[in-house]
Amino acid sequence: MQNHAVLNPVDHKDIKIVTQRSELYGDCVIATLAFPFEFRNVQSDYPILFQKDSNTGKLFPVALLGLKAKENLFLNEEGWDASYIPASILRQPFMVGFQGEKPIVTIDMDSPRVNKVEGEALFDEMGEGTDFLKNVTAMLNELHGAYQDTEVFIEQLLELELLESLALKLMLADGVEHELTGFYTINEDKLRELSADALGKLHNQNFLQPLFMAVASLSRLANLVDKKNKLLVC
Amino acid sequence: MSKMNPNVKQVVIAGGGTAGWLSAAILAADRAAVASADFHITLIESPDIAPIGVGEGTWPSMRATLKRIGVSETDFIRECSASFKQGSKFVGWTHGKSETYYHPFSLPQGYDDVNLAAAWQAFSEQVSFADAVSAQSSLCEHGLAPKQIATPEYAPVANYGYHLDSAKFSSFLQKHCVEKLGVTHVLANISEINSHPNGDIASLSLHSGEPIQGDLFIDCTGFASLLLGQHYQIPLVSQQDILFNDTALAAQVPYARADDPVASATLATAQTAGWIWDIGLPHRRGVGYVYSSAHTTREKAEQQLREYIAIGLGVQQASALDVRELNINPGYRQKLWHKNCVAIGIAAGFIEPLEASALVLVELSATMLSDQLPVNREAMDILARRFNERFLTQWQRIVEFLKLHYILTQRNDSDYWRDHCDQGTIPERLQELVTLWRHQCPWHQDGRFIDDMFPPASFQYVYYGMGGKTHLAANRSQPKDAAAKAMGEFQNNRRKIEQLLGSLPSNRELINKIMQYGLPKI
Repeated sequence: MQNHAVLNPVDHKDIKIVTQRSELYGDCVIATLAFPFEFRNVQSDYPILFQKDSNTGKLFPVALLGLKAKENLFLNEEGWDASYIPASILRQPFMVGFQGEKPIVTIDMDSPRVNKVEGEALFDEMGEGTDFLKNVTAMLNELHGAYQDTEVFIEQLLELELLESLALKLMLADGVEHELTGFYTINEDKLRELSADALGKLHNQNFLQPLFMAVASLSRLANLVDKKNKLLVC
Repeated sequence: MSKMNPNVKQVVIAGGGTAGWLSAAILAADRAAVASADFHITLIESPDIAPIGVGEGTWPSMRATLKRIGVSETDFIRECSASFKQGSKFVGWTHGKSETYYHPFSLPQGYDDVNLAAAWQAFSEQVSFADAVSAQSSLCEHGLAPKQIATPEYAPVANYGYHLDSAKFSSFLQKHCVEKLGVTHVLANISEINSHPNGDIASLSLHSGEPIQGDLFIDCTGFASLLLGQHYQIPLVSQQDILFNDTALAAQVPYARADDPVASATLATAQTAGWIWDIGLPHRRGVGYVYSSAHTTREKAEQQLREYIAIGLGVQQASALDVRELNINPGYRQKLWHKNCVAIGIAAGFIEPLEASALVLVELSATMLSDQLPVNREAMDILARRFNERFLTQWQRIVEFLKLHYILTQRNDSDYWRDHCDQGTIPERLQELVTLWRHQCPWHQDGRFIDDMFPPASFQYVYYGMGGKTHLAANRSQPKDAAAKAMGEFQNNRRKIEQLLGSLPSNRELINKIMQYGLPKI
């Protein structure tokens, strides 16, 4: 359960945020939301798939981190072993909220990252935001609008019937067949058949590049399977 | 040659209720790619005749039908005030008390493989047949939806059909037919039916405007049966000696609170001279008493209906509701397709709404008509014969299956129930089946036709639901591993119930989410 409060220098004067990446801080997830604007970076490490929000039925793009529930194959004792960490992970425990039309920063007070002992302070003694908080705010500003862009991106893909359910069966090093279910991917046959008009429209919306980044990202699946096999063997 | 044997290019539908528009939609959607010069549908709707507006329950077949005509399930649910139906719940049919049983839409576990009815006999005192072989009765008892918000359009987690607002459904189909499928909609009263020398209908004259010519005419004029009944004088084969109900009192009942649960099954509660239907839509319930006028009076029937409604709503509100009377002549036409005219919907026949056979018959009729639309006049008589054969059998099967709901009753509180058990009122084929079922369980051999509407599973649910017994002879051979298989399936079912109860939202919750988010396409 999340418990979001509007961030302010009075209530959150002494709050510190743990920035270390670990299972202890909720990083052990099989997948995390990926925004189209970051697909180029995401695909350098992770397969980009699509998943449904069980509460709304809406599809959203994700970076795949593991092969089963609560598994993140990029986490080890030292932290998160990848060149890029998706923004939806980095932003935690903060979120963009709205007061009327005005965007505001909220903080999930129930997040295990939130405490008063260790990590990065949010405010100095004068009640001014620290550099850490300034960076957080800058990142959230960038995400502002990205949620809506993502929705439009998905609507476009659905309208062009470019998404299909993914049935992935993997043979792992321990000889057990492993099935990955509940994910969707780009239908490459449909993509090849797109008309010049449809391609032009996607391009004008800045969706063409992320679309092909998502297709390219599938080759990262082999990377995930390697990581998994290493764990199984040792 | 072409005059004698014209190609079927112009289809004219008389009548604009759900039967007319659903037929138009199925025929038009199947020919969406055909040029309008080669095929065209005109639907003539009277501006003065209000549709009957009953038929608010569908079968699971409606999902395939809606998909076939190219509408989105989200739009359908939003615009037709539809909710999910997973079967029927019968109250008080055996003893006239509060006993209940379910006829769910899902087939019994492992239905293709093993007849669970035989293995269930030993446990009939501990668990109802439906609960033992299907998860669906449990889902309905908990008011749960048959799927989740993330389940794609038309895909089930548990098999389902719909409850819907039939007036809204007509308008929804009309809009789709006219805007997307190129059906011409003419609002006018038919004044005259004009014939060819061979007796075929040539055209329909209207009170205003040009006569509408056609090669094939579909009679969807409801109880009037304007073309088949009135023009061609094809008589109605009455079934009233078997199924006595000939009058319905219908009311639209508001919920006491806007967020009251929406029932996942049609409730059918037995009364002294018939039964009360209770259909939950998101915004209201449709409740009605269908009864035999030979066994009670209108006053008494209305009183019983208002007493039923008062249980949830209070006496004051229940007594203030409008009640509409419908007269039913239970039966079907001796022929459903005559010359170049075929009747679909109430114009073909109507029987009490037990088991919601009205809309599914429209779907089946229109689908067969579309799949085997005669190319020309020469082909028409042959296809008409096939159509008549199939649907006259279908009607007989429906009558038999509905009668099954009555004949096992132990109620002795009114002539109505006693008369239903009178051997003289029970069709011979049904008598034979029930005689067999005393010693062998209903199974695949009891269904003769591949397209029978009610599979033997339905016989099982109703027969055992009503307290029917099968005394399996000890010397009767059973497949070797049947008992072990059956135990496995009972266990699978228990696991399934547990898993589904934990993961499905309530009917109301899912409908609210569909209003807000829509169902995903994939």
